[in-house]
Amino acid sequence: MIRRPSLAARLDSPRVLGYLLSVPAAIILLGLLAYPLLLGIWLSLTSATIGNPGQFVGLQNYATIFADPIFRGAAWYSVFYTICAEAGKLVLGLALALLLNQRFRGYRVSRALMLLPWVAPTVLSALAWLWLLDPQFSAVSWLLVRLHLIHSNIDFLGHPWSARMSLILVNIWRGLPYFAIGYLAGLQSISKDLYEAAAIDGAGGWQAFRRITWPLLMPITTILVAFSSIFTLTDFQLIWTITHGGPTDATQVFTTLAYQRAISGGQLGEGAAIAVSPIVIMIVLAFFVVRSVREK
Amino acid sequence: MNGKLRIYVPLALYGIFLMLPFVWMLLTAFKSDQELAQGLNPFWISHFTFSQFTNLLTQTAYAQWFANTLFISIAATVLSVFVSYITAYAIIRLRFPGSEVVSTAIFLAYIVPPAILFIPLASVIIQLHWFDKLWALVPIYATFLVPFCTWLLIGFLKNIPRELEEAARVDGASNLAILWRIIFPIAVPGLISAAIFSFTLSWNEYLYALVFMSSSVNKTVSVGMTSELIRGDTFQWGQLMAGALIGVLPAVLVYFFFVEYYVAGLSGSVKE
Amino acid sequence: MPDRREFLISSAAGVGAAALSGSLPIAAFAAESPFKPEKGASLQLLRWTAFVKSDETVWDENTKKFTAATGVPVTIQNLTWNDVTPKAALAAQVGSGPDIVMGWNDDPFVYPDKLIDMTDLVDFMGKAHGGWYDNARSYCYDQDVKRWVAFPVGCTGNAVNYRKGWAKEAGFSEFPKDLDGMLKLARGLKKNGHPTGFALGHAVGDANSWTHWILWGFGGKQANPDNSIAINSSETNNALDYARQLYETMIDGVAGWDDSSNNKAFAAGLIGMTMNGISIWYAEKTADPALFPDFANATPPYGPVKTHTISNNFTSAYVFKYSKYPNAAKEYLRFMLDSPQADRWVTEMLGYVTPALKGYSDLPIWTSNPNITPYRDALAGAKYDGFNGRPGKAAAQALDEFVIVDMFADVCVNKMAPKDAMRKAEAKLAAIYKRA
Repeated sequence: MIRRPSLAARLDSPRVLGYLLSVPAAIILLGLLAYPLLLGIWLSLTSATIGNPGQFVGLQNYATIFADPIFRGAAWYSVFYTICAEAGKLVLGLALALLLNQRFRGYRVSRALMLLPWVAPTVLSALAWLWLLDPQFSAVSWLLVRLHLIHSNIDFLGHPWSARMSLILVNIWRGLPYFAIGYLAGLQSISKDLYEAAAIDGAGGWQAFRRITWPLLMPITTILVAFSSIFTLTDFQLIWTITHGGPTDATQVFTTLAYQRAISGGQLGEGAAIAVSPIVIMIVLAFFVVRSVREK
Repeated sequence: MNGKLRIYVPLALYGIFLMLPFVWMLLTAFKSDQELAQGLNPFWISHFTFSQFTNLLTQTAYAQWFANTLFISIAATVLSVFVSYITAYAIIRLRFPGSEVVSTAIFLAYIVPPAILFIPLASVIIQLHWFDKLWALVPIYATFLVPFCTWLLIGFLKNIPRELEEAARVDGASNLAILWRIIFPIAVPGLISAAIFSFTLSWNEYLYALVFMSSSVNKTVSVGMTSELIRGDTFQWGQLMAGALIGVLPAVLVYFFFVEYYVAGLSGSVKE
Repeated sequence: MPDRREFLISSAAGVGAAALSGSLPIAAFAAESPFKPEKGASLQLLRWTAFVKSDETVWDENTKKFTAATGVPVTIQNLTWNDVTPKAALAAQVGSGPDIVMGWNDDPFVYPDKLIDMTDLVDFMGKAHGGWYDNARSYCYDQDVKRWVAFPVGCTGNAVNYRKGWAKEAGFSEFPKDLDGMLKLARGLKKNGHPTGFALGHAVGDANSWTHWILWGFGGKQANPDNSIAINSSETNNALDYARQLYETMIDGVAGWDDSSNNKAFAAGLIGMTMNGISIWYAEKTADPALFPDFANATPPYGPVKTHTISNNFTSAYVFKYSKYPNAAKEYLRFMLDSPQADRWVTEMLGYVTPALKGYSDLPIWTSNPNITPYRDALAGAKYDGFNGRPGKAAAQALDEFVIVDMFADVCVNKMAPKDAMRKAEAKLAAIYKRA
C-alpha cells in the first residue's frame, strides 16, 4: 500500500519548502525594490515632471544627458571617485587587517575602535569633516601649520581638484574599516599550516604574502570590492553634505546630479535617466559577485 | 624592540587618521558656543562645559529620536536576519529549482540608488498607507539589508557539512526542524555578523527616514539633529557633535562586545 | 471702514500690549475675514525650521491662538530649509502630504497645477496692508496657468555686513553707496589684514545672493521677457570683471564655502565684510556682547544701473489641491500674516523675515536700530531670480543648478575668460529653458 504523503510532508519537501521560505524575501524585494525600480526605469523613458506623468519619449532623455557636458563630467568623476576610493580602501584596509591580525597588547580595543568611521552616521560625520576641511577652521590645517609642515591653511574644498581628492579621502576614511574587518575575517580563515610550510621552505614574509595570502584572499577581495563599489558609485549623502556638487560642478556624481535635476528642478524623467545610467556598470560588478559565489 | 615598533608605529598612524575626527568631535562637544565661535585652538578646551549635552537633551527631542532609531534598528535587524537566514537556507541547503535565479536576483537588488528610488518608492508607500508610520521603515530598510545578509549567510551555510543534516533526516527530522534545531545553532556566528551589519546600516540611514516620516515624534537621530540643529545658516555645532557622539555609542558598544563574532562569522562564510 | 493699517498705527501700543497679554478679542478679526474654515477641519503645515528661535516661538504661539479662535488644530512639521523642497516635491508627486507648505523661491512654479488658487486671499491681504512688493507677484503668480498659485509671505532679506572699526580704518566712516566705493573699501580692508568673504561654492543662499546682486547691478540679466537667453552681454562682462576684482580682496577658500561658512568666519573676526541675512548680526548679540556694537549692516550698494538690485530668498505659502480644507488653510494664512499676529512675529524675530506686504514696513522694529533698517528695504530694491525672463520652472532649475554662481566661480576661481564663462552659462541656460 502506498501511503500518500501528508500535507505536512509535502510542505516539507525541498522544493515546496524552498519556495515557501523564499517568499518573505521575495515580497520585500519585489514589492519595495523591484517594482519601484521598474517604475524608475519607466520614468526615465518619459518626459515626466513633478506632478505630471508626461509622455513616453523612448530613449530621448538618455540622448539628452549623454550630450550634456555636466552629465559626462559627473559620470567621469563618479567612476574616478570609485576607482580611487576602492583602491585606497583595499590597500589600506588590507594593511590594517594584517596589522590587527597579530596578537599585541590592546588588539581587542584596537579592533573595536577602528570601526568607528564606518559605524558613525554618514550625515553627521560628513558635517564633522566639513569643519575639518574648512579653509579657516580646519583642525587638520591648524595641526600641520603648528608642526611647521605647511605655512598656511590648506584650501581643501575651494578648488576643483582639491575638492575632488578631499572627498575621496573622506570616503576612504569611512570605508576603510569595512575592508579591514572583511580582510581580518579572510586572514583568519587561512590555515596557519600553510605559513609554516612556507617558512620551512625558506620563503620570506613578502613571498608568503604573494604566494599564499593574496591568492587565498581573492574571493573575499572580490566580494568586498564588488559590494563596496556599488555603494561608492551611488554615494550621495557624503558628497551632498560636504560640497553639494561644487565648486563649479567639479564634484558632481550620478546621484547628486540626478537628485538636483529631479527634485530641485522637477525634471523626473531626466533625473531618472541619470540615476539609471550607472546601473549598467553595476550589473557588471554584480555579475562578478555572483560568479565568485557560484565558483565556491 | 624592532618587532614592537613595526606594530605600534603603523598602528598609531592608522589611529590618528581614523580617530582624528572623533577626537575633534569630542573636544567640540565640550566647548561652549562662545568658544566655538572664536575658532581658536581646536585641540584645547578653555572652558570645559556640559552645556551642549544638557541643551541637547533638554531643548530637543533627542531622547525620542534615540528611542526611535533604536527601535527601528533592532526591528529591521531582526526582520532582515530572519528573512535572510530562511532564504539562504532555502537557496543553499534545499537547492530547489530556480534557487540560482533567486540568489542572482537578490544580488541585483543592490544596484539601485536610494537617492532616486525614493520617488517611485514613495508612491508605493502611500498606496500601502504606510506613510509616517515609524514601523514602516523596518521593511523598507530590509530592502538594502537582506541582499548582503543573504550573501553572508549563503557563504556561511555552504561550509556546514551535509552529514549533520543527513544524520538528522535518518532520525526522522523534517527539513523545517533541521532548519531550526540543527543548523540554526551552528549558524549563530554568521547570524551575529549579519545582525551587526544590519544594525549599523539601519542606525545610519538618513534619506528614507527623512522622506517617509513626517511628524516630529517619528524622527530618527540623523533626521532630528539635522532638521532642528541646523537653522538656515546657523549650525549648532556643539550640540550636533554632542548628539553625534551619543549616537555612535550603541553601535560602538555592540561592536566592542561582538567584534570577535563578527569576524568569526565573516571568516566562516569565506572559508574555502 | 478704517484702513486696517491706520487702525494699527493709531493703536499700536494698545494692540501690542493686548496681543501679548492675550486679551485681544481675536474673534473680532476672524469675523471680518471672508475665509470660513470647513467644519471639522484640521491642518498640517510644513515649514522651514526657523532661523532664529524667536521666530519659531512666536509662530507657534500665534498658531495656538488660531486654534483657540477657530477650533482648527494645526500640526507643524519643521524641516531644515533645504529639505522642504524635496518633501514638497514628493507631496506633489504622490498627491498626499501636508496641506500647507511654506517653501522657497520658484518651488510653486514647478507644479502649479497641483496648487489651489490664492487670488482671493492675495487681494484681501493686499488691500488691507498697503499692497504688495513687486517680488510677491514674481514668485507667486504663475504666468503659465495665469493665476496666483502661492501666498507671498516675505523674504529672508540680504544686506552687507561689515565691521565699523575696520571700515573706518580703511577710510570709510559711512558705508559706500555704490559698488565702486565698495570695491575701494574691500581693497582697503584686505590691505589692513581684514579680507572680505562672499561664498562661491554651491551654497544655496549665500552664493546666489551676492552673484545675482552684482550681475543685475551692472545691468546683466539671465533672460528676456520672452525667455530667450540674455546672459551673454557686455553688461554681464562688466559684472564678471568687477567680481574678479572683488575676489582678489577675499579670504581663501570661498569656493568651498557653504551657507554657514561666512557666519563662522565673520563671527571669528576673520573677514571684514560679507553678505547675509540678519541672523549673522543677531548671533553676535549673545556671542560677544562687548564687541557687538562694531558689527554693522548696510543696504547693498548699487552699480551702474543706479537702482537697487538685491537678491533675496523668497518664501511663500502654497496649498495643495488634495487638501480637504482649503478654506481653513486660507484663513490660517490670513490670520498668521494679519495684524496683530504678524506684527508681533516680525518684531520679535527682529525682522528676520521681511514681509511681502508693504504695510509692515512701518513697524517700529525696523527703525529701532540702524542696523535693522537695511533689511526693511530688502524687498523694495529686489529683483527675482531668472530676471528678466518669466519666473517659472526654467528659472527654478537654473537657480538650483547654480548656473550664475558657477559662471562667476569660473571667472574668479578657475581663471576662465569672461567671454568663455558667459558662453558656457549661455549653453547651460539654453538647455534648461528649452526643456521647461
